[in-house]
Amino acid sequence: MTIETQNPAPREFDVRPILRSGGEPFQAIMEAVNGLRPAQALRLLAPFRPQPLFKVMEGRGFSYQAQEIQDGDWEILFTPKAAGASVEVSADADNPDSWPDPVENLDLTELDPPEPMVRILAAAERLQPGEVLFALLSREPIFLFPELSNRGHQWAGNFDETRTTFRIFVRIGNKAPKL
Amino acid sequence: MPGTTLSPWTMSYFAAACIFLVVGQGAMVAGYGYPFAAVEAPGTLAVVHVVAIGWLGLLMAGALLQFVPVLVAAPLRGGRLAPPALALLIPGLLLLVGGFAALGGAEGVSPAMLPSGALLLAMGFGLVIIMLATTLLMVRPLPLPARFVAVGLGALIAAVLAGAAFTLVLSGTVTNYAAIALLLNGVPLHAALGLGGWLTFTAIGVSYRLLPMFMLAPDDTRATSRAVWWTGAAALAIVVASIVSIAVDSDGMEGARSVATFLAVSAAVLYSADVLRLFHERRRKIVELNIRASYAAFAALFASVVMFALPITRAAAGERAAALVYLFVFGWLTGLGLAQLYKIIPFLTWLECYGPVLGRSAVPRVQDLVEEKRASIWFFVYYSAVIAATLSLFAESPAAFRVATLAQLCATVGLMVELVRARMLSYVAAPLRLPAGAPRPHLFLPISRPQE
Repeated sequence: MTIETQNPAPREFDVRPILRSGGEPFQAIMEAVNGLRPAQALRLLAPFRPQPLFKVMEGRGFSYQAQEIQDGDWEILFTPKAAGASVEVSADADNPDSWPDPVENLDLTELDPPEPMVRILAAAERLQPGEVLFALLSREPIFLFPELSNRGHQWAGNFDETRTTFRIFVRIGNKAPKL
Repeated sequence: MPGTTLSPWTMSYFAAACIFLVVGQGAMVAGYGYPFAAVEAPGTLAVVHVVAIGWLGLLMAGALLQFVPVLVAAPLRGGRLAPPALALLIPGLLLLVGGFAALGGAEGVSPAMLPSGALLLAMGFGLVIIMLATTLLMVRPLPLPARFVAVGLGALIAAVLAGAAFTLVLSGTVTNYAAIALLLNGVPLHAALGLGGWLTFTAIGVSYRLLPMFMLAPDDTRATSRAVWWTGAAALAIVVASIVSIAVDSDGMEGARSVATFLAVSAAVLYSADVLRLFHERRRKIVELNIRASYAAFAALFASVVMFALPITRAAAGERAAALVYLFVFGWLTGLGLAQLYKIIPFLTWLECYGPVLGRSAVPRVQDLVEEKRASIWFFVYYSAVIAATLSLFAESPAAFRVATLAQLCATVGLMVELVRARMLSYVAAPLRLPAGAPRPHLFLPISRPQE
């Protein structure tokens, strides 16, 4: 199971001209990093493998992939570690990619709120611990999230590409629900 | 983690606000304040502040404690400050009103109550601002509705500071020239910041999120909505700059006021277009009473702002355009407030009471908590009375005004009875009313169950 994320395209930054003209690129790189949008990656083009930069970027929450391109130049892709930022998950959710396929699929997009919340909580009562439920909604169910967490369920969800449908996976917990 | 829980103290804010609305309207029925006294008379000031701070200010503060987390999909920060904030705001307002009464010659009160009231109000609103601003600061980038709230909070700060400066002059604590000039020239600006900046701008922002939610309309951000934010924020910036220029005794901002008016009218027109578009694009064909009642409020906003900008109607509207201010405060702000309370209170009550048992027991629908037919009559009476009161102010007929405000008061009390009945689950059929495990809601205090 995968949840498609809609991360923005990486921002490209070429430090080769700065270095060619004898400049010091570190400040410019940091400015480029500060200008990134949430979940946006940075593609850096450099004339060498910028080893010291990796540590700095790691400290700022980026992982990196470096590869040599033509003429000994390097292309490094710095990806923010919370790469699934556009996927919202409950605080206790382990890796949603490892969840089993949903046993129940609900299309609740045509229902008036709060009916989708009622249906999802009712479906959650029917399922066994560890089973997964998938639902489509027309709104982000912000009042549902605390109720799910409160009952020990995990969830992960996000809007689709058109931002008109919210998709949510709920994995039934085996904790005794708090009342 | 995203998502939001119930704000336990919102209902207490709403209850206090409703009491102040009844008190304020009762004072008008009794012939206290404008039009029975001059617009700057102490009695008028007392009534205006009971309505503006007691009703609208507490209503907005309570609503934002619940809805700012909804706007940004993040939990409220510092929510434990909500009870002390309310405990500062209520006595602060009572002191302020006592101070105004003292200026009018009432016995047993003193003008010195004005600055102490302003201090408590500043502290109370300060706590509210701390909760809301720290919640907003956690979110990047800030969604457009939340940016309206951020500007509204800025206007609240400016309005409170200007008002506090006035109390220092009125009580005789400060006698320097700049402060007196500020009082003589700054009152309309203070009112514009409070009613236009804090209350209206914030209400517009929240409506951009709640209207699509209630009507199932697309809530993507349009260029017109952004333009409403820019024009409105620019108008408010000019108002703040004007206050500063009065305080430093410069007359550089005189011409800018008409620019601010033009920007405010543009914002109102663009906002009206957005609201109409949302209505047309809604997926829910039958809209609930809160939406229908809100549309009357939008009409009042549009009418009052446009007529305020036209010199003819403005001049005909009495002292400092009092008839249009009345339409703005009771048609737009109060009408919208009552209409939204009619949705918010049943919904919060439903979630508070039935949330813990959803999916486990049969529960009523949110709509089962209300009786729309009865409430729609009250809304009809309410808006008719507001129109009649506005016209009687145009006609300078205090007797007609008194009759109209009495009808308005009756409709308000009728709506409040409906809200209490919703809160007490009175309309819910007995077998569904309280399933096992569902806590019984208190009228205006949080339920004793620990908040999750």
